[in-house]
Amino acid sequence: MDFSWPQEYLDYKARVAAFATAELSGESRENDATQTFPRHLWEACAAFGIQGLSLPKAYGGKLEEVDFMRALLAMEALGYGCTDNGLAFALNAQMWTVQTPILHFGSEAQKQKYLPGMAAGKIIGAHALTEPEAGSDIMSMQLAAVKAEGGYRLTGTKHLITLAPLADVVLVFAKTNPKLGGWGISAFLVDRGTPGFTTSDKMDKMGMRSIHIGSLHFDDCFVPADALVGGEGLGFSIMNHSLEYDRCAILASQLGAMERQLDGAIKFARERKQFGKSIGSFQAVSHRIADMKLRLETSRLLLYKTAWLKQRGDAARLEAALLKLQLSEAFVASSLDAVRTYGGGAYLGNGGVERDLRDAVGGVLYAGTSDIQKNIIAKFLGL
Amino acid sequence: MKELITNYIINEIHGGDPDLEIAPEDDLLGSGLLGSMEMMRLVEHLEQTYNFRVAPQDMAIENFMTIEAMTNYVTRVTA
Repeated sequence: MDFSWPQEYLDYKARVAAFATAELSGESRENDATQTFPRHLWEACAAFGIQGLSLPKAYGGKLEEVDFMRALLAMEALGYGCTDNGLAFALNAQMWTVQTPILHFGSEAQKQKYLPGMAAGKIIGAHALTEPEAGSDIMSMQLAAVKAEGGYRLTGTKHLITLAPLADVVLVFAKTNPKLGGWGISAFLVDRGTPGFTTSDKMDKMGMRSIHIGSLHFDDCFVPADALVGGEGLGFSIMNHSLEYDRCAILASQLGAMERQLDGAIKFARERKQFGKSIGSFQAVSHRIADMKLRLETSRLLLYKTAWLKQRGDAARLEAALLKLQLSEAFVASSLDAVRTYGGGAYLGNGGVERDLRDAVGGVLYAGTSDIQKNIIAKFLGL
Repeated sequence: MKELITNYIINEIHGGDPDLEIAPEDDLLGSGLLGSMEMMRLVEHLEQTYNFRVAPQDMAIENFMTIEAMTNYVTRVTA
């Protein structure tokens, strides 16, 4: 067993962290307060090559083939350097739940139409799965795609969709044959401006406020047959395939955020004086920070193991569930510990510490709640 | 292989239910014999048992709707 990384990977990770620190963090507080999406930062990420990390060179990436471990380290570094956790979250959402499904399941025409533009930051894509009555129970989705002359007619609503108000194209899951249950779900690419397809305004939310979420409405919306991704009935496979990549990469950015948070807490605990001493010299504080370090490193091990399995092409369903549960809950716990360490200043919003806490809460809900992750773990244990 | 899959579903997913009968042509997901998570667990069991990987594009109704279809698919890709 070898836990080391190739030096070139670490060098790249350092370059991403430096880029994110210098270019992506200056507006975080204001964009959070005003719920402003930083389009220019999205484009700066594309120019640096972030969105292209999930694509081979033929479709806008920098490398001949996707290197998932390298991409994972880059997303970790992005989370470390970029204090806007929402931006890192949304980048990951597009990269792994829109670009990756198109890359693996899409037609050549679909790849050419969307992927280079997404890599260049010119096209924004959203992944649309959740519905008002189908959250954790996703197989009960109601959005219908009925076959019509030359294509399909979509009717229904998607809900809580990241980037929905901004997206140029959505990868939407719909039932093409309700009688077949999970096998009757298909995926379609629908462009903004398609008659019968509208999106809501951005919704107010607790955290990751720079990234807009909203609803999609399909009212007898006709899409041509070539909007279908991968063939009828492949929706179940498409959603499962992308979820493990998505969980790894989004959580990598959260891991980076946890490391940034830990470094900040250590620095603060050394500098802040009370009762004539640094507060870090009090065990009540230092033990809390030790807990943060333990959560960070146990999460890191699970993350790297899961990513390693994915890189090898192995199944990582149980590991991905363990990782999602551990890391998202650890981020909430460590964010609260960071607030306790910083004290009243953090509560007032200084330094972004409370923003991390608000952002972290979303992690125990999206892409499968913590309860759902426990269900998956239990199922894989034969319970 | 049909027997192995049937036994796995009965013993590992349905707790050895003695009254459960599954025919090779039964729709596993559609009939509720398997939920989506159990289906993924069964797929992982097949991958480990027969030392192969199900390509994402193959995870489709024609290959996994029934025990019969699974048997045919695994036999074909592992040949």
